[in-house]
Amino acid sequence: MWKSVIYKEWLKIKWFQIALTVLGLLIVGKIFLKVQHDILFNEAHNVWYFILFQGYAYYGGILKFIPLIIGIGIGIAQFVPEIMSKRIKLTFHLPINENKALFMMLSFGFLCLLLTYAIMYGSFIGLSHHFLAGEIVEKANVSIIPWFLAGFSAYFFVALIVLEPIMKYRLFYLIVTCFFIIIFLEHQVPGGFKPINWKLTVLTLMTSVSLLFSAYRFRKGEM
Amino acid sequence: MNNVIECNNLTHYYGKKLVYENLNIHVEEGSILGLLGKNGAGKTTTINILNGFLQPRSGECLIYGENTQHLTPATKGRIGFLIEGHVQYSFMDIHQIEKFYSGFYPNWNNKPYWELMSKLKVEPKQKISSMSCGQRSQVALGLILAQDPDLLILDDFSMGLDPGYRRLFIDYLRAYAKAENKTIFTTSHIISDMERLIDDVLIMDYNRVLEQCPVNDFMTNFKQFNFELANGEIDLSKESFVANFEKVKSSVELYTYESEEFIKDFLKKENIAHTNFSQMNMSLEDAFIGLTGKY
Repeated sequence: MWKSVIYKEWLKIKWFQIALTVLGLLIVGKIFLKVQHDILFNEAHNVWYFILFQGYAYYGGILKFIPLIIGIGIGIAQFVPEIMSKRIKLTFHLPINENKALFMMLSFGFLCLLLTYAIMYGSFIGLSHHFLAGEIVEKANVSIIPWFLAGFSAYFFVALIVLEPIMKYRLFYLIVTCFFIIIFLEHQVPGGFKPINWKLTVLTLMTSVSLLFSAYRFRKGEM
Repeated sequence: MNNVIECNNLTHYYGKKLVYENLNIHVEEGSILGLLGKNGAGKTTTINILNGFLQPRSGECLIYGENTQHLTPATKGRIGFLIEGHVQYSFMDIHQIEKFYSGFYPNWNNKPYWELMSKLKVEPKQKISSMSCGQRSQVALGLILAQDPDLLILDDFSMGLDPGYRRLFIDYLRAYAKAENKTIFTTSHIISDMERLIDDVLIMDYNRVLEQCPVNDFMTNFKQFNFELANGEIDLSKESFVANFEKVKSSVELYTYESEEFIKDFLKKENIAHTNFSQMNMSLEDAFIGLTGKY
């Protein structure tokens, strides 16, 4: 049963997963090309000075939004095909508890997302250690974690929004999602989110069950 | 006979619009029941309630004794469901979809599936989304046959199919159901198809059930009489024995469960002058329109 669910979900998202992982790696690569360029032309001690004492975030800019884009992309690739022609009925009709089926789908999507993020995060941290001091990497690590959490939350919210049967509720969830996600993307000094990263993690985990609400409403025939 | 499906006092509204009230349906094991009704009469609503995709305002539906709002996985495994428009996972090809479903059903038998697929002119890697409606219907039917369910619920199986595929679908389905003692609950827009397939008929009109009986009984007992009235102003639609009364100028179509003698006696007793009285042969479609009206 697990194998069948994984097989279906993989067929839906495989190209998105591969393309978005490559996108993530390209962005990480671009960041460190610039770091390498800056070190080469401005000398390492100047670059480090700017990062440590001027609050320059070498990872700033587009990286902030990439985990979010990946989370939304995987969510759309996985759940939009389920609502086209109300195909989710096929899933609910399988000889398996409906909530269990949804959690199997969600767990697989989450693990795929985790894999992509792990590759991105690992290459980012590895390259950071290669070019920069441990203290700088530690602060960068604290700063980028909320962006990945935003990606996970966005994935869970996409599932909630896509499975919601009524358009006006979808719009409402979308607005709530935007305000929620903004918290994770707030401007911060490097390492500034250290005291609240665990709270953001708890919030993200709480959003993981939200799709059950939409699925329940679908099964009750809300329209 | 055991009832596979039992709906008791089913009432449903969409907002304030009543779909039906106190609807009672039963489907016996091994029978093929066709649910007929005009657009908006509640056919798909009933199918959705049966599959647990809609909670009725009141009343309950039972399948194999379980409330359809809380079917156990084991009971869902005994039900094959064809969604209106033969909806399936269209991003898969015929090999992928067979592999996917086979993981859920312990009695999966792919022989009838591949038998049907061999009749289709599709490429092995062709996505279901790029198949014709007729080809998709065969994929959906093949998957249901491979599942080998005890009960098949088919929502408007004939939608979008050309006559050849409709005939193929019906003949395959009926032969399978009768050979394996399967129960079928089906709806279709094309009533002539149903005539070939079903044992029992359930005819719904807005808010109510007009008829539920074996289709042969219905076709024997329900009659159409045509005649010409001398006085075109006469209206018999309010008479208790008249199921439907259609009149164009002085030409009358009268639908009733009464006999020819009864109608003739009535016309004689009421001094209603008429000519060209005859009983018409009806198809199931004629009888359905006769009972529910053209509008």
